[in-house]
Amino acid sequence: MQRDKFFREIENVTHPNEKLVKTHCSYCGMQCGMNLRVNTITNKIIGVEPRYDWPVTVGKMCPKGVTAYQQTNHDDRILRPLIRDDASLKGTKEGFREASWDEAYDLIAKRFGELQSQYGKDSLSVFSGVSMTNEKCYLTGKFARVALGTRYIDYNGRFCMSSAAGGFLRSFGVDRGSTLPWTDVHETDCLFIAGSNTAECHPTSMFRVWAVQERGGYLIVADPRETPVARRADVHLDLRPGTDLALANGIVHLLIKNGHIDEAFINKHTNGFDETKDLVKDFTPEHTSMITGVAVEKIERAAEIYGKAPNAIVMFARGIEQQHKGVDNVSAYTNMALVTGKIGRPKAGVATFTGQGNGQGGREHGQKSDLLPGYRKIYDKEGAAYVSKVWGIDPEDMPQAGVSAYEMFELMQEKTIRGLYLLCSNPAVSAPNLNFVREALKNLDFMVCGDFYLSESAEYADVILPSVTWSEDEGTVTNLEGRIIKINKAQEPIGESKPDWQMQVELAERLGKGKHFSHLKTAKDVAEEFRLASKGGNADYYGATWDKIDEQDGVFWPCKDAEDKGTPHMFLDKKFYHPDGKAKICALPYRPPAEEPCEDYPLRLTTGRVVYHYLSGNQTRRIQFLNDMCPEPYVEVHPVTAAKYNIEHDENILLFTRRGKANYKVKITEAIREDTVFVPYHFGHDESINLLTIAALDPMSRMPEFKACAAQIEKLKSGKVL
Amino acid sequence: MTMTINDSTYTTETAKTKRRLYMELENCIGCRSCLAACTQCGGHEQRNRNYVYDVNPLVNRQTMPLMCLHCVDPACARSCPAQAIQIHETGAVLSALVEKCIGCQNCTIACPYGIPKFDEEENLMYKCDLCIDRTKDDIPPMCASVCPSNTLQWLTEEEIAEKQNRHDLDNEKWVTSMPYLEGETNVKVNLPGILQGTVKLF
Ligand code: SF4
Ligand code: SF4
Ligand code: SF4
Repeated sequence: MQRDKFFREIENVTHPNEKLVKTHCSYCGMQCGMNLRVNTITNKIIGVEPRYDWPVTVGKMCPKGVTAYQQTNHDDRILRPLIRDDASLKGTKEGFREASWDEAYDLIAKRFGELQSQYGKDSLSVFSGVSMTNEKCYLTGKFARVALGTRYIDYNGRFCMSSAAGGFLRSFGVDRGSTLPWTDVHETDCLFIAGSNTAECHPTSMFRVWAVQERGGYLIVADPRETPVARRADVHLDLRPGTDLALANGIVHLLIKNGHIDEAFINKHTNGFDETKDLVKDFTPEHTSMITGVAVEKIERAAEIYGKAPNAIVMFARGIEQQHKGVDNVSAYTNMALVTGKIGRPKAGVATFTGQGNGQGGREHGQKSDLLPGYRKIYDKEGAAYVSKVWGIDPEDMPQAGVSAYEMFELMQEKTIRGLYLLCSNPAVSAPNLNFVREALKNLDFMVCGDFYLSESAEYADVILPSVTWSEDEGTVTNLEGRIIKINKAQEPIGESKPDWQMQVELAERLGKGKHFSHLKTAKDVAEEFRLASKGGNADYYGATWDKIDEQDGVFWPCKDAEDKGTPHMFLDKKFYHPDGKAKICALPYRPPAEEPCEDYPLRLTTGRVVYHYLSGNQTRRIQFLNDMCPEPYVEVHPVTAAKYNIEHDENILLFTRRGKANYKVKITEAIREDTVFVPYHFGHDESINLLTIAALDPMSRMPEFKACAAQIEKLKSGKVL
Repeated sequence: MTMTINDSTYTTETAKTKRRLYMELENCIGCRSCLAACTQCGGHEQRNRNYVYDVNPLVNRQTMPLMCLHCVDPACARSCPAQAIQIHETGAVLSALVEKCIGCQNCTIACPYGIPKFDEEENLMYKCDLCIDRTKDDIPPMCASVCPSNTLQWLTEEEIAEKQNRHDLDNEKWVTSMPYLEGETNVKVNLPGILQGTVKLF
């Protein structure tokens, strides 16, 4: 299935006393195939071997993937539950002592019970993540609503994929991150990539990206920085951070003006064209250029290429989504595909580069404050009744919708939320406006953290539960294509660590909810219940059995039953998921970033990733190779700007915004706009750039505006390079 | 003087399908996955043997790998007084034999590309052996297996000929494909400029 020109039959190398376990990378949404090398005498993971037979990535891996295996038997692993009795030590690594699982569970059950009887069910909260299997994500949602009975559950996808989700739901009525399989990417004629540092964040897409150009196709990249993918673009739209909506409207303006629209498609399959046409009238190349700072000729050239391309794919990522108008940006770029009809057929469509390994699956099945499995809305009575039945609860007992990730911290600060169960996330590094968030964590009466390393967030916990790495459990994840794939277990959990799903089952039993959980004895048991719970929803996984996943190299959802092979291409029948079957072309008025530069804060600060680190860096900063390559953050500054501040390469400076400040080494590069500075966000404590970022939330997705705020540089007396 | 060693597993059958390491420098995205992967090969003992450079660090993000080119008449081996550097019958110029290497570092100086690395503690030279335990069976070396941008590829002679054809601009001044660099090499390199001759689709 989907074997293309990059696929070659290659035998793997197996060394003596070794076996290979087929699986996928633990990190980003590419979910590159890999074989873990396991020593058959010690039964320990000792290395990695390419997985040439995985059709999406054919053996390729970025350096994170190559070294991912080093997480499992790392010295920093937490091997037993940890309890800290002295709450005054919160926010530090100090004061933890080892405890038995029984003692940890008892303490949690006692403290959770006390809080709920004193302050009500909703005084507890769950903050989760999507770098874990669908089975774990599913059970976490059930655990919050059934075992804890709280409305307050949300997850780190609010800082990652929520705007893409919101935009796709509005434009298409369904949120599948890519309308086509990745094996189409190199065969299209034009890639329009906006706000994606593809080469660093999804490196194994790059051989397909370059192949488009090798075939004579075009590459257009919109990014304030000349990233490694922008370096070779036919057109680099070097826009000001936070002005994507204007750029997208400007391109749609030109597509209409140049006659590159598909009127038959628009009339038959979409709504909203006339309003949109009206709205983008103002976005002439000159007006668009004024807002975005991109030269008129570049905007015209990009629109011409996209318009003329027989097939084209619009792709985007956090650059456009992590804005307080992220949802609008997604719908606005999606408009390009809808007005030209370049969607609903092979080699043409729209895709977002999913950030986390299971950013797609993890958002569909009930970790989001208002969602239940199968992408059902919690306030949809019928859907909630169905899920209640699967869970064996009275629909009346299904909690209401809660609030988004960042808003949970606000509720912690004001003491509405008093207890937290945090897992698979490190918000003390990854949330915006960290001075506030760290205070909120400190303010909790009781906090439990599940992690396999002592993360910066775990430093605020009263109890730490040692979870396992991805290689010590099995289950499914849904990659950036919407393909459900299988993660296999390569080693037994080290120490006394356990998979999160197992902890939740055991904790639920302590909390007196065993009858809803005790039947779940293996990851497979969870998978079976989860498939059933998703059945009939938009994200229907019912037909995606583990056997089928193995046989077919993954299953694209929706996959409704045993006969259904899944859906690699969406909308081939030109049926969208809104009730009338039409897609929505959206008229979206431009809004500037929440915080525009001013005299005191004249620079635009934007943040992002480097190829060596993943998210908050809790995992990758511990891997020696990766840490050697990028041991500390830095601030990228254009030489013209550096001259203005009289600062040099490698000099230590103070960077500050209205919310916070931090010291960074200057990295001079011409590959950034003069008005913009960039800092990678993978670092903790005093080095976190999120001390400076703004928590301006998108009204629909509640996504914070990580990608644009106003900042200032101060030269330090002591900062001189020697 | 150089020596060639025979490896019984290297049959005439594999010789026919023989592939070579081929590089398209312009594709490089600087991820250094090739470095990370180099440690994964049997006998590499967690030491990587190649390099990746920022071509113009204060200006742009162009990077390029610097790999052993497995010269047909390798300067490193020629310079070795102890005949510690052997040439495999596939053409791979191997890492120094532990029992022969005297740690004189002649090779690191002789190599025009500065490839051989030196382990001070072990007093031993080590270099890219083209992942000989893989490539002897025509399995791609680790670096070319993982390289996400196809900068490093493992291609047949025909595929390389095709590349050379495509990228030979015939413009006197500059051709992108070079038959060899310093001397004839087993690894083929395509210098920046690969898209110059590309005919656009529309
Ligand atoms: S981090 Fe992403 S691109 Fe890198 S190996 Fe893992 S899945 Fe692949
Ligand atoms: S793996 Fe490939 S793209 Fe990455 S640095 Fe090495 S040669 Fe360049
Ligand atoms: S061919 Fe093998 S030994 Fe040589 S640089 Fe590549 S990975 Fe390292």
